[in-house]
Amino acid sequence: MVCFCTLTYAQAASEIMQKIDKNMSSDNRIVESSMTIHGRRNSRTITSISYTVGTEKSFTEYLSPAREKGTKMLKLDDKLWTYYPANDRIVQISGHMLRQSVMGSDLSYEDIMDDRKLSDVYDAETESEEVIDGRAIKVLKLSAKVDDAAYETRRLWVDTEYYLPIKEELYAKSGQLLKRTTLSDFKKIDGRWFPMKLNFKDVLKQGQGTDWEIISIEFNGEIPEYIFTKGALKK
Amino acid sequence: MIKFLLKGILRDKSRSLLPVVVVSLGVFLTVFMSGWMKGVFGDMIDMNANYTMGHVKVMTRAYADNEAQIPNDLALLEVSELINQLSADYPDMEWVRRIQFGGLLDVPDKNGETRAQGPAAGRAVDLLSPDSKEAERLNIPKSIVKGQMPQSPGEVLISDEFAERFDVNIGDEISILGSTMYGSMVVPTFKVAGTLNFGMAMLDRGAIIMDITDAEMAFDMTDAAGEVLGYFKSGLYDDEQALIVRDAFNQKHSDTDDEFAPIMQRLRDEPSLKQYLNMADNMSAMMVMIFVIAMSIVLWNTGLLGGLRRYTEYGVRLALGEEKSHIFRTIIYEAMIIGSIGSIVGSIFGIAVSYYLQENGIDFSALMENVTMMMPTVYRAKVTPELFYIGFIPGLLAMTLGNALAGYAIYKRKTAQLFKELEV
Amino acid sequence: MLAFNLAYKNLLGAGLRTWLNVSVLSLAFVLIVFYNAMIDGWNRQSRDDTQDWEIAQGQYWHPDYEKYDVYSLNDAHQQLSEQTQQIVDKGVLVPELIQQATIYPQGRMQSVLLRGIPKEQEVLKLPTDCLLSPNKPNVAIIGKRMAKAAKLQKGDAVLLRWRDKNGTFDARQFTIAAVFNCDVAEADQGQFYVDYQLMQEMMGFTNEATLLVSKLEQNPTIDHWTFQSADRLLKELDDLINSERISGMIIQMILLMIALLAIFDTQVLSIFRRKKEIGTYIALGLTRQQVVGIFTIEGAMHSLLAALLGAIYGIPFFIWVNSIGINFGSADMGITIAEKVYPYYSLRLVVLSVIVVLVSSTIVSYIPARKIAYLKPTDALKGK
Repeated sequence: MVCFCTLTYAQAASEIMQKIDKNMSSDNRIVESSMTIHGRRNSRTITSISYTVGTEKSFTEYLSPAREKGTKMLKLDDKLWTYYPANDRIVQISGHMLRQSVMGSDLSYEDIMDDRKLSDVYDAETESEEVIDGRAIKVLKLSAKVDDAAYETRRLWVDTEYYLPIKEELYAKSGQLLKRTTLSDFKKIDGRWFPMKLNFKDVLKQGQGTDWEIISIEFNGEIPEYIFTKGALKK
Repeated sequence: MIKFLLKGILRDKSRSLLPVVVVSLGVFLTVFMSGWMKGVFGDMIDMNANYTMGHVKVMTRAYADNEAQIPNDLALLEVSELINQLSADYPDMEWVRRIQFGGLLDVPDKNGETRAQGPAAGRAVDLLSPDSKEAERLNIPKSIVKGQMPQSPGEVLISDEFAERFDVNIGDEISILGSTMYGSMVVPTFKVAGTLNFGMAMLDRGAIIMDITDAEMAFDMTDAAGEVLGYFKSGLYDDEQALIVRDAFNQKHSDTDDEFAPIMQRLRDEPSLKQYLNMADNMSAMMVMIFVIAMSIVLWNTGLLGGLRRYTEYGVRLALGEEKSHIFRTIIYEAMIIGSIGSIVGSIFGIAVSYYLQENGIDFSALMENVTMMMPTVYRAKVTPELFYIGFIPGLLAMTLGNALAGYAIYKRKTAQLFKELEV
Repeated sequence: MLAFNLAYKNLLGAGLRTWLNVSVLSLAFVLIVFYNAMIDGWNRQSRDDTQDWEIAQGQYWHPDYEKYDVYSLNDAHQQLSEQTQQIVDKGVLVPELIQQATIYPQGRMQSVLLRGIPKEQEVLKLPTDCLLSPNKPNVAIIGKRMAKAAKLQKGDAVLLRWRDKNGTFDARQFTIAAVFNCDVAEADQGQFYVDYQLMQEMMGFTNEATLLVSKLEQNPTIDHWTFQSADRLLKELDDLINSERISGMIIQMILLMIALLAIFDTQVLSIFRRKKEIGTYIALGLTRQQVVGIFTIEGAMHSLLAALLGAIYGIPFFIWVNSIGINFGSADMGITIAEKVYPYYSLRLVVLSVIVVLVSSTIVSYIPARKIAYLKPTDALKGK
């Protein structure tokens, strides 16, 4: 009986996870967003537009501020190139550099590049149910089922109406909390719910983390195949 | 009488030439030795002062706390104003700005795509201002292996080892994958004007040297600098003065909780350096003392010999009725003249050679084959104000003392005995 | 023998002058011995320290390991073969696994090299026995420089974050079990030592190492490992110390020159003043060469007396210095130097110095004495 219960529980949990994937992942999306990085001295906001197809291909162009404008980033599989218009250079970012933070934010290149669906990487179970701000929240614990997950476990606080997490915590193998993401401002776009505001925080470091705000998002838009080539970086 | 004595000295070579030669040689050695000691002991201190510490160094408090990580996001802002203020407050010091940066050195192929990458440790100093002493301070002109100093903005020097490893030639373009002081990733491109080898693994690994304005542009650090270094215009580290400057400066900026308020450190505040400086001070003082003593003994001996060899002459002069005290006085005067001439000649030569070695150094690299040195293979002497008088201590005093002691024998004996003893 | 006796008596007879010369020469002598002994002492201590703390009798490196290249470091590790493991079990080889990691002392991020070293090893002086802690599972040892840079003390806890073989993040609190004091900066700066077995488990490896430290001087080749001899690893240090020796040589040479100048001066005067004596010697039937010999020996004997005098005050001085050591402070300039250097006096050094002083003083004594050979005995007798 107990066994049966946990099984349905687990099923419920993985269903939730799949529903989150359905909301968050897509085969094709175009996102215009702004990233606000809080430094010790001041904050800066960078806007960009990215085109993503599946989990393998992604192309980002920075729009502002002036300093970053025209800088482009191309990800194909596990390779990453950046293009700098100021001196017309394409630089490959590899190995050690992938672990560096992106533009001084609390996100590393690897964090950005790891775009796999949660259900591809993790098994989920429901840990508890809570009510936060009057909303029914399920707390999901995700454990990696593949070897190469960057974070062995995650904990998701999922709003059971929208099937989006309001908070996510990433843990090391030992259970040490490493990063926390807060999601808010859910909106319905093309029949799915999506968080319009996110805050990423490396909890081991001091600071307020990095805010990410979505200005516009379009699913299943038209993305020409040629932009996922190095040639497109220079255009 | 001095004229008479001078004539005597000039005409009697046995009286003049040898003692003068010996005194000059001795003084020369003492002076040169002191200069050499100062140079050699000062090497490491100068290196620290020139490359990293300055005589005093201004940073933000936050930067100072994490100095090892070169946190340019915590750099000083409005640096021109700060430097103007510092120059006005301390006119006898020169204030320079420095930016250090880390990153990846990226070599492009002909399509502008990455061909090779390696870790970079960059240093930006004022290379292009016509009156800047920074290039000399970092010994850059002499460290160049290939090519030349950057002549215009956008030109950099890179480590020779890197250039060899990745086949980078003079005139090639290289990029630095780094970040601005606000965290943006940038890849500024520069032209390689030359390659350099400081001879110190610590400095040479992935070294890039560029002009400060290039770094300001590249890393979005206009009017900002990681560090502002102060150097005494005399070129010499004056610890007492540095302490006064530091305390006054920090006093002025102490009334704030701002972690970006500037804070000043002096060279000796570096704890490891402090002990070394103390030791070097003691050691060089001890060595110079040993030298002065040794030289004094030698010149005293010379004076003594000079006096002894003229006993016959004294006997004759006594016989002619000259006063003992007069003879003694002429001995002393002569000794002083010879001592002075010798000291001046010796000091001139000693200072000249020290100066030459200060400017050019002796290159010992030939003696040390295939060396990957952490220390320079070029040794330098250093001309300090001390050199201008240190030679006179053994040269003049010891010479006079030696002669006086030899001449004292005249008083000790009765005139009659003296005749006999003095072989008249 | 006559020459020696005469020379000895003449020298002592000259009294103060001789002793002035001798004392200067002895100063030069003592300084030469002392300076070189100090350099030798530094060299020996630094070599010994580096060997004790870091490299022992040499290291076997993974072929891709490059000491200063952090980019290739993470991939430079391999499993120990059974054969190699047998050597390790004998206590002759100590495996070390090195990976990059990050520590977070008080919210600051700092890159470290995480080094796994067997806690039971006895080849290196590192206090690895402190890694044995039944009460606390995760303990580490660090050096004093590292402790200072990270503002950590013994007993403090610090969070270590690393990535295992699959790239999965892991992080644990480590307790600093010991802060060791060693003079080898490279074994200290940026190094974070944990137990070898613990690190295998942390990384998800089975007995993989980056390098093997060798205890014995005879080192057989081991397949897939590149041997680096101690001499090769110590080359940079040797070069540095030799450069110090050369700069010191100039100082010694100048001091010696001053002393020789005194002897030269004395010789010139002796020959000038003692012409009658020279004439007498020749009249007594000595050849000119013999007379030159007497005067040369007289001059050269300064150096023997100097050696004796030097010994009289030098030996107590040396003993005193060795009892307290020379304090170089913890001169942290990336150079291995003991906090206190004890000069090392080898027989070779003393003998060599005596020979140098003896030969050089003989030469400067001989040069003015040559003049004697041209003197006419009759003139000499008259003192002309």
